[in-house]
Amino acid sequence: MNGFGDYIRKQRETKREQDRKFSVRQLAARVGVQPSYLSKVERGLEPPPSEKVIIRLAEELDEDPDVLLAMAGKVSTELMHVILSRPKLFAELIRQLKDQPDHAVLRVVREVRDGDW
Amino acid sequence: MIELKRDQLVFSFPEIHPKAKLTISFQRTLRIPDDGRHYSLPPGLGDFPLRHVDDYASRVASSWLKRGGVMFPMYQSEAMWITVNSDYIDDHRTEYPFAIKVAAGKIDAITGKKWSEKLKGKPQNYMVAPEQPWLDGFCVKKGTIRQFIAMPLGAGYSAEEQITGEAEYGGLQLLVCPMKRKVFEQRFPKIKEQIRQIESFAHYDDLSEAIPCCLSDMGLAPGGQMKQEIYEDPFKLSDWDQTTTSRCFVHIANSMVWSSITGGQPPTPPPTAKEYTRAGLPWFDYYNETARPLDGSAVLENLKSVAEMGAEMGDVPLPENESATPENIVQIRHGLKKGQVREGSF
Repeated sequence: MNGFGDYIRKQRETKREQDRKFSVRQLAARVGVQPSYLSKVERGLEPPPSEKVIIRLAEELDEDPDVLLAMAGKVSTELMHVILSRPKLFAELIRQLKDQPDHAVLRVVREVRDGDW
Repeated sequence: MIELKRDQLVFSFPEIHPKAKLTISFQRTLRIPDDGRHYSLPPGLGDFPLRHVDDYASRVASSWLKRGGVMFPMYQSEAMWITVNSDYIDDHRTEYPFAIKVAAGKIDAITGKKWSEKLKGKPQNYMVAPEQPWLDGFCVKKGTIRQFIAMPLGAGYSAEEQITGEAEYGGLQLLVCPMKRKVFEQRFPKIKEQIRQIESFAHYDDLSEAIPCCLSDMGLAPGGQMKQEIYEDPFKLSDWDQTTTSRCFVHIANSMVWSSITGGQPPTPPPTAKEYTRAGLPWFDYYNETARPLDGSAVLENLKSVAEMGAEMGDVPLPENESATPENIVQIRHGLKKGQVREGSF
């Protein structure tokens, strides 16, 4: 099973149908890696790349960076810092919400407060 | 519901349509010279950083906390444009339509009238997404806006101060109103085919004392003139669901005090229009042949621009106001390719 590699290959090939800029060679150049390396990642012959490269891939492929990182078995450094700043609080929050349906989790999402003006 | 995600305000209306979402952000840009000439659209140089005022409750003025909302930093005499993006709904083959009111210091940026929570048709006091992708300033004439320029609130330059005589609010005020669900389904019925072609485009130090609000509050004043049309609503006033609106107060903090409020650095000052143009970087002209432009506001047209006010006060509010002659102008037609935004590469 090569979830990450298969997924980015599929997304890249879908885009390539409409735009030649999404060949392995051109995508690799924009993301800053060797084409042979990107091809190996797609085929599962190399493990997923670094966080920086995955984030660049997400931007190029119009994917959510957190989702792509998760598929690669990673969590962004930014999220890690958040959790580590208050580990007990966030661990408890995640455990409490882990089995909730999406809409219930989203209710916890922070809204921009509207005041008196 | 409004969320703040990665420096963008995301307005969603799940009770109207699960995919009815509008994203608004504030773009750093060049200040166009205030020299009587009409300029093309300058580039976007990235989103201004947006933060919840509540996250810095001990560092912001109590009036900001009372109003809630978000804040971002601007330097004195820096410019800004607002970018607006409605989510594309695949099975209806359209973006969800929204009506958007924008005010600066609670002065409507399209009509020059005082803020109200109601959409009005004559004169139209809102813009419509997706027809209107950007708003760069105050609508002074048909096809012309005066660029949004940040100036300290209390210095007399802002549209609010020139019109009301008071320096009370500053910042920006937004109200977003979705199209009624029933109207949306009638105007843009679901596409029934099982197999659809993949479309290639989608139709976006730390100080221990609180900072006095008079130092950090910025208002928006009218700057140089730009070719931009604000489009007439292609729908009917009754198509908008005015019982379901979301509003937000967007405070503008002086960049000079941003790090003492948030602990983070503000973005660097942008290049001048002359430096940018000399580097051969692109400006933009946008065309939407199907939409009709609104007439401008006489109230806003009569405002003094920052340069004019400065001359009257014996002040020099705009350093480096030299004219520029853009030669590299990219034409953009309505129906942008996804990702084709007004980005500069400075």
